Amino acid sequence: MSTSALHADHHTHDHHHKESFISKYVFSMDHKMISKQFLITGIIMGIIGMGMSLLFRLQLAWPDEQFGLLEMLLGKWAVDGKLDPNFYMGLVTIHGTIMVFYVLTAGLSGTFSNLLIPLQLGARDMASPFLNMLSYWFFFLSSVVLLISVGVETGPASGGWTVYPPLSALEKAMPGSGLGMTLWLVAIALFIVSALLGGINYISTVLNQRTKGMSMNRMPLTIWAFFFTAVLGLLSFPVLLGAALFLIFDRSFGTSFYLSDIFLEGVGALENVGGSPVLYQHLFWFLGHPEVYIILMPALGITSEVISTNARKPIFGYTAMVISLMGISILSFIVWGHHMFITGMNPFLGSVFMILTLIIAVPSAVKAFNYLTTLWRGNLRFTPAMLFSIGLVSFFISGGLTGIYLGNAALDIQLHDSYFVVAHFHLVMGSAAIFGMFAGIYHWFPRMYGRMMNNTLGYFHFWITFITAYLVFFPMHFMGLAGVPRRYYQFTLMEDFSIWMDVNKLITVSAIVGGFAQLLFLYNFFVSIFRGKKSEQNPWQSNTLEWTSPIDVRLHGNWPHELPTVYRGPYEYSRPDRELDYFPQNEEDANAPEVLHVEEKEVAKEEAPVENSVFFAAIKRVFGLSR
Amino acid sequence: MKLTLPKNTFNLLTKKLLSLLMASMATVMSFAQAATDVIAPPQEFDPSGWNWVNILICVLILLIVLVIARAFDIGSLAERITGRKIVSAHKVNGIIALVVLILGLIGVFWELDAHGKHLLLWDAASEHGESLDSMFMWTFGFTFFVFIVTEVLLFFFMFKYYYREDRKAAYFFHNNKLEVIWTIVPAIVLTFLVLRGFNVWTKITQTPNENAEEIEVFAYQFGWKARYAGEDKKLGESSFVLISGTNPLGLAVDGEADKLKDALTAEVAELEAKLAASDDSTAIWRAALNKMESTGLSKTYVSEHKALREKVLDAESGAYARQLKKEIKRKETNLKRIASFRSKPEIFNKESNDDRVTTEIVLIKNKPYMFRFRARDVIHSAYMPEFRAQMNCVPGMSTVFPFTPTKTTAEARSTKGNPNFDYYLYCNKICGAAHYNMKIKITVVGSESEYNTWLAAQAKMVAPPVEAAPAGADSTAVSPAAVAAN
Repeated sequence: MSTSALHADHHTHDHHHKESFISKYVFSMDHKMISKQFLITGIIMGIIGMGMSLLFRLQLAWPDEQFGLLEMLLGKWAVDGKLDPNFYMGLVTIHGTIMVFYVLTAGLSGTFSNLLIPLQLGARDMASPFLNMLSYWFFFLSSVVLLISVGVETGPASGGWTVYPPLSALEKAMPGSGLGMTLWLVAIALFIVSALLGGINYISTVLNQRTKGMSMNRMPLTIWAFFFTAVLGLLSFPVLLGAALFLIFDRSFGTSFYLSDIFLEGVGALENVGGSPVLYQHLFWFLGHPEVYIILMPALGITSEVISTNARKPIFGYTAMVISLMGISILSFIVWGHHMFITGMNPFLGSVFMILTLIIAVPSAVKAFNYLTTLWRGNLRFTPAMLFSIGLVSFFISGGLTGIYLGNAALDIQLHDSYFVVAHFHLVMGSAAIFGMFAGIYHWFPRMYGRMMNNTLGYFHFWITFITAYLVFFPMHFMGLAGVPRRYYQFTLMEDFSIWMDVNKLITVSAIVGGFAQLLFLYNFFVSIFRGKKSEQNPWQSNTLEWTSPIDVRLHGNWPHELPTVYRGPYEYSRPDRELDYFPQNEEDANAPEVLHVEEKEVAKEEAPVENSVFFAAIKRVFGLSR
Repeated sequence: MKLTLPKNTFNLLTKKLLSLLMASMATVMSFAQAATDVIAPPQEFDPSGWNWVNILICVLILLIVLVIARAFDIGSLAERITGRKIVSAHKVNGIIALVVLILGLIGVFWELDAHGKHLLLWDAASEHGESLDSMFMWTFGFTFFVFIVTEVLLFFFMFKYYYREDRKAAYFFHNNKLEVIWTIVPAIVLTFLVLRGFNVWTKITQTPNENAEEIEVFAYQFGWKARYAGEDKKLGESSFVLISGTNPLGLAVDGEADKLKDALTAEVAELEAKLAASDDSTAIWRAALNKMESTGLSKTYVSEHKALREKVLDAESGAYARQLKKEIKRKETNLKRIASFRSKPEIFNKESNDDRVTTEIVLIKNKPYMFRFRARDVIHSAYMPEFRAQMNCVPGMSTVFPFTPTKTTAEARSTKGNPNFDYYLYCNKICGAAHYNMKIKITVVGSESEYNTWLAAQAKMVAPPVEAAPAGADSTAVSPAAVAAN
């Protein structure tokens, strides 16, 4: 298929549907354009969220100093260059909300589900392009409302991103619980609508729109991950909507779902009786825990694809990967109580949640080991995407292991709401997922824009970000183990915690360096869109279908002629019977079997020279695997 | 029609960008420096006060960045001259991975050495704390082993298997034996941890023996109070409706309840008078506003004008009257509730009369305690890290946590080598602006006599009357003063 033919075809195509600027770039129904819209919005929200974290990190490292810069930026919230405690809480809250929902849910899942589901399945577009468009515009509206809430006179919502009532329900409890909180709830409600519209679309596309030959067990792991993510979102987001509605009722219409027996300073005893603040926590975490996996699973899917492609090696244990994704998805619905061990929940219920929580560590461990084995004896091409994927595996392991402490109800007595928790989720959910997002951007940038990003800048971006992320979050474990509570405006008033001042400074300096490293990425991203090197059709020599759709023209419908037919699974790299080290899914070869079963003896022969990888040799010795 | 740029454009831009990055970082630092200089007087050059470790780390990071940058530069230069590929980016990244691995391991062990001594978990001050600490050590041993092994493997693989054109990756899809092993081994280890954790958790949370002394810890924005039972060894009944300036915990004490009732009745009467006169006051405010606007004073007193204008608008739209009616209704509901409590002798049974409300917690070593938590306004969390104890305080719900302290404050001071050390109970659930400064001192004494001396100095709820602060909802602000006077 020559490019000129494609061009010709495209021109005729163009002739028939003349697209206006609005329908092409703004209210577009092309999934590729919508994915770019999600990505750019996500990046902008990410910059804001990251900037907020730098502001409050400054406060934590130098609580007694005054920064003229802050007063210039924040006005009355930083009189004399010192951050206001209420606004500190607001920053923490909005940072969390933006990162969890707007960057890592919509920015990550929205971008790559939209881009890859139709392209990797061989579909012309989503099941419903119109709902897809609505999904983006609800998300956009929601982002705008959230950003407006930061600027209101009484300040943004400031009860932490979990907005536990009564703090968030009572306007007089803190300034942020006024108009800021109302707008926060409106933004989240709009966001949920967007997530549900997207989720329905992803599920129906995966189930119905697969091209000829694309059976479920030939789907790339990215698609499996997006699919389970969408199912999780569809089942759990409505519960958050319910929780948010009850909260709106309690705030504005005098109901008492979450309120009981409250006496407020300056007001007196309130009328509300009979509600329970713990009810909100149950409803919130019923979403909140699956939400963690809604964030993480797309990143894991992207990692599977990127690692396999760049290791030039089939992903190890495809079935195990799918089953563990499924296991994680199911288990994630019955572990929410581990966020609530010490909230006054019945201790017996606590022990049940503890058992379920630690079970979820098993499929996660399987995934980590499978990634390691995929790398083992591969031929690793270190593209920036590959580096970010490996970074993800590293964070996934370090952050996942600390989950074993927090999932244990007994240890959680000490660690609950301490800096240990901050370190844990920033590694396993924050850093890991954002690295997955970077991996995805670097890997599919040519697919999105037809141009390549600069590798050298990518390497700098990766190594600086990777090292500073560890420098920021690793020491926090030790603070948490020493009982330093999170969400403290400053530690100077608590003598016990003042020994951590130096560490706080180190963390802040690392965060600033890491933050500046993101400028490399932004520069690389935006300049490459216009001036990057033109990409080849299949720049990473990948097997999956998205690289068969013409890369140099934007085609609503993805393939100019017929849809590709799929003959085999997506991970046939380095087959011994082929000269090329890849084998595209749509390439017909009557002589090649779908999966080449290498003879047992041959495997044994090949494995012989690898005795020098000590650990595996040792495993084999111990468990009698070698013959 | 190709619009590609010359190959080295990007490298040039990269260099420019890097220098820009360095420059902007330097600018930010100097801004911060400048901001400090304005406030703090210039200090003498004193390197002993510097934090050399941080500076060293910064320098190290900078060095690494520069080395990598040079490596890439030399490589691309050589490639341009010879026209052959000399430096493989794959190899460079593989080597960096190895360097990062080694530096990272050094960092991890340095950190363990430097901060290991701050792990409070190794020095529990309560009976159950020791079982929790051993649980921690087991978990730490297991996870640290897995952490080191997997991270070493990950980075070592990056170094060992970087891309070479003459190599082909191995081709295998799965290995059932291996997969079964690494499903079952973690499952077994986790089962062990779960069972152990289950035991520890059940032991901690089960109700302790009968002779545990009950202490109530009461949380409010932003502080703590404790309540000790009197001679009857019983904590009396309490309710949020009974809270007043002189009765900060809302205990069922006859005199306090009556005082509150009178105050509330007076407030209701006052509000009703305001409501009756609301039409007149609207007219007065409107006239004042008109006058302010006509004389041009509104331009001088902008904020006053705005406030007045809002007040007038509220009054004219009826919002003001509605607000008053709502307040009256709320206070009348409270009056009804107080009356209904008051009529129940099982609540007003005089058990509260000899209770002592204190601003410090004093415990006796090796005596079992049952902490009962209440919150007045929002959720707080009573966090006592030294005792390995934490429980949320939830409005409308009573939560408990039992423990037995095993080290006196004096003992802790000598082991920590800090003569000013004190145990504290902190707030650990976001609760408002002053969340970061919400604590109460806990003192553990060695003998009952010390405890009794302290307790005798604390006033009982019903004691010779102190100068009465005006009771009522709005006067809670004086409560700390009142308690201090006690």
